[in-house]
Amino acid sequence: MAIELQMAPQGPVTEAPEGGWPTLRIAHLYPSLLNVAGDGGNLMALERRCAWRGIPTETVAIDAGDTADFSTFDIVLFHGGQDVEMEIVAADLGSKAPSLRAAADQGVVIFAVCAGLQLLGTRYSPSEGPPMEGAAILDLETRGGPQRFMQHAAVDITIDGQRGTIVGFENHSGQTVLGPGAQPFGTVIAGAGNNGTDGTEGAVRDHVYATYLHGPVLPKNPWLTDQLIRIALERRLGREIVLAPLDDSVEQRAHDVAYAKAVRNRGQRTALEPAHLVRGRSDEALG
Amino acid sequence: MTSRTVDKPTNAAAPGWGTAGPPPPFQPPTKHRVPPLTPRRFAALMAGKAAAVASRVSGRGGGTSVPGMVARRVDPTILASLVADQHIPVIAITGSNGKTTTARFSAALLRAAGFPVSHNKAGSNLVQGVTSVAVGAADLRGRTPPRVMVMEIDEGALPLVAAELRPSALLVTDLFRDQLDRYGEIYAVADTFEAVARELAPDSALCLNADDPIVAGLAPTRSGRRVMFGLELDHDTDRITRAADTIRCPRCRANLVYDHVYLSHMGAWHCPACGLERPPLDVAVTELEVRGLDETRFHLRTPAGELDLVVPQSGVHIAYDAAAAVAISLGLGVPLDHAAEALATVRPAFGRLERIAAGRHSIVLGFAKNPTSFNTTLRALATEGLPRQLLVAASNTLVDGEDFAWLWDVDFESAAGGVERVTVSGLRADELANRLKYAGVDPAVMTIVEDRPAALDAALAGLEPGGTLTILAGYTPTIELREEMRRRGWVGPYWEV
Repeated sequence: MAIELQMAPQGPVTEAPEGGWPTLRIAHLYPSLLNVAGDGGNLMALERRCAWRGIPTETVAIDAGDTADFSTFDIVLFHGGQDVEMEIVAADLGSKAPSLRAAADQGVVIFAVCAGLQLLGTRYSPSEGPPMEGAAILDLETRGGPQRFMQHAAVDITIDGQRGTIVGFENHSGQTVLGPGAQPFGTVIAGAGNNGTDGTEGAVRDHVYATYLHGPVLPKNPWLTDQLIRIALERRLGREIVLAPLDDSVEQRAHDVAYAKAVRNRGQRTALEPAHLVRGRSDEALG
Repeated sequence: MTSRTVDKPTNAAAPGWGTAGPPPPFQPPTKHRVPPLTPRRFAALMAGKAAAVASRVSGRGGGTSVPGMVARRVDPTILASLVADQHIPVIAITGSNGKTTTARFSAALLRAAGFPVSHNKAGSNLVQGVTSVAVGAADLRGRTPPRVMVMEIDEGALPLVAAELRPSALLVTDLFRDQLDRYGEIYAVADTFEAVARELAPDSALCLNADDPIVAGLAPTRSGRRVMFGLELDHDTDRITRAADTIRCPRCRANLVYDHVYLSHMGAWHCPACGLERPPLDVAVTELEVRGLDETRFHLRTPAGELDLVVPQSGVHIAYDAAAAVAISLGLGVPLDHAAEALATVRPAFGRLERIAAGRHSIVLGFAKNPTSFNTTLRALATEGLPRQLLVAASNTLVDGEDFAWLWDVDFESAAGGVERVTVSGLRADELANRLKYAGVDPAVMTIVEDRPAALDAALAGLEPGGTLTILAGYTPTIELREEMRRRGWVGPYWEV
């Protein structure tokens, strides 16, 4: 498809370095296990937005049982999943954690969502069943809570001094508390955030970004996607870059609608009534 | 898609039946066993029937759900008193996908065998929709005619009505993730199925899709009759995609191995770690040919003999649905002598790749509500070439759900290459348009028109005379678009299809 690249009217314009852009290497963690909530859209957003700018990408799926040296990647994606799959991931994560930790220390971009956030922390204690050890890359701990947060959410975030609003859909019952070693990813504008009480959302450390926002979050927050691409490329190239802007009118509309939904729902705990109340009561459904 | 089984079994595998053995010939009740009519029950019936008339007169929805809602409000025990208490035989059909079509097939098989049927054929499958059928069938003295009730039942509503219906047969079509924000994780839905299956009366039949790993293992220790259906082809008819849900062993969680994948995560599966495998099939589709958008031909092996079937609907899922309906008949002891003629007459339910003449143009209306039903519909459409002129619609309502993340699990990429023009509609047109853009559809060929009738006009306006518009829409937009087509005289009401 043809997307016209509009050159920014002022400021430094990205040009491919001599010899062309390096290939951005993306690790997609546990794609067959953590695939339940459309988070694969995050990968599409990264790949497409690179492709539209002529930046090549190479994506490697890394599942349970696979070994990988994460420091050879530029971006690592670690998504959300259901409890059963999360247990399988937690059991496997121990063998990957040292390499993942080393990559985080070297500034590799790690982007985690929901279960990914929880398992980058030190520990996740579900409401039922034994606790799971996390990779201890982020100083945070999560406990299963009595309430499932299911709603549109909007979060105020700052990355490298640039401030933006991101939107997504929360669907979690875990309640996360940050330790002193982690900063919140952002501040809740609308939604529950990490725990529904302290107004924090997600966590950040070096270039490790973790959030509860599904939706998927990157396609409707192109600014955030581009920040991840920029940071990854700058680390690889060792110099500042500015990405060529794209026509984001479709993305912006999706962002704005989700933002309006989040704000309209502010103060309520779920976008819908809990499933056990909705079941059998709504007008009609069919299959 | 054509297939021939290489080694056709010379002697059919011994039917499963559980430990209960084959059923005696089906005997519907001949006499009423009617509980005494209380003033409250009479009032509930009156109110429900009046609501049905009002709903029909106002032309708003054909009374598929309001009568049941009204009647239940007056008398919460109305459904039990009209069905379970009167020993009315009920076929309960649940699962993520294929409920409506399976129920239509099953009703046709029963009618062909000489048994009159009541059926929620408009697809109103929540508690009040099921109750509406019972209220509609009963007379004002609370007597339900001795017909078989064929009921498709929403996964969430099933546990609420199971005791009030006391089904003679329970069929589970499949289990896919669908509206996580309504139902929760698929394991929670599986637990619901398990609880209802275990509570089935001992002489009831449990009919299960053997190709779906979780469904195949429901109520394993139940002693009653058990009829397993599935496909037994020597080639794949699908591949595992990101929409597949159950690709791990339900017992030990190791990754399953598929000898063949037939539809999403359904296929001939086994677990290399613990040895769990697909149970033997009682009803097996052994040959299958999908012919364009209008016909599927297949061969069924059953304990009651072999059947060659031609059904005027398209897709691998149609073979599953027909095998499911045959499994129900076998489980109940209903003869299959006229099965082929009966199934040959069952046309698509409304919006299931329904062909509609729209003046100088034609429309194919494809209802889709989760990744698997979208992918199945896209694949069926592709048998006639990729659709070029599209209208795609998604809305967030109570029944459609609020979270549309699943759109990113639909294989829109497979269709993007053919798209010349697409109108994007519905309350979540924004998310859908963004999804299509990232699937490779050029935004320059996309028009966003949220309003459904206006979107229909916009989409048709771009067609050349004789051109075909393909519509892919979620539940609410499908109803709305079809209602608009009804106003224009192109189709009858959806509850009469």
